[in-house]
Amino acid sequence: KTLEVEEGGIQAHPELQEQRARGALRERYLRSLLAMVGQPVSFTLHEGVHVRAQFGATDLDVANFYVSQLQTPIGVQAEALLRCSDIISYSFKL
Amino acid sequence: MSEWMKKSPLEWEDYVYKEVRVIASEKEYKGWLVTTDPVSANIVLVNFLEDGSLSVTGIMGHSVQTVETVNEGDHRIREKLMHLFTSGDCKGYSL
Repeated sequence: KTLEVEEGGIQAHPELQEQRARGALRERYLRSLLAMVGQPVSFTLHEGVHVRAQFGATDLDVANFYVSQLQTPIGVQAEALLRCSDIISYSFKL
Repeated sequence: MSEWMKKSPLEWEDYVYKEVRVIASEKEYKGWLVTTDPVSANIVLVNFLEDGSLSVTGIMGHSVQTVETVNEGDHRIREKLMHLFTSGDCKGYSL
């Protein structure tokens, strides 16, 4: 079986193809998060709310973003967790 | 759950290195698609800015309504995007 894979048999196995694609996509996503650590990020939330904060970390199922220096209308929150279900998009510059 | 979240990794991979227009929560986003997280279906788009810097936008999978390809791209753009988040001595992953 190992031989088949080495000989390019991966083409013939849809489940291996899918696993490879999954791995490549996930790795690239994790690297994009790594590039975001420590960066000022602006978040678009529901109801047209925009907030800025410094990105720190996320959990492995990407359910929350841990941020610092969250700028809210009532002041700056030193540390905060943003629920990803409340977020529409986020952006930062490299 | 949206259509986008139900796609398979191979279907998501079809959009990689292409310029896409994404509608999410009634907002429009455009850029080069770098990846889609297979866990959250979050999309990562990149735009090249005039000052030479990059703008990176993540769109949460749960808010994605439609994704449409506007430019198939070419090897030049692919080359640029491929090494984007890899740094220094660890540029070793390829598609």
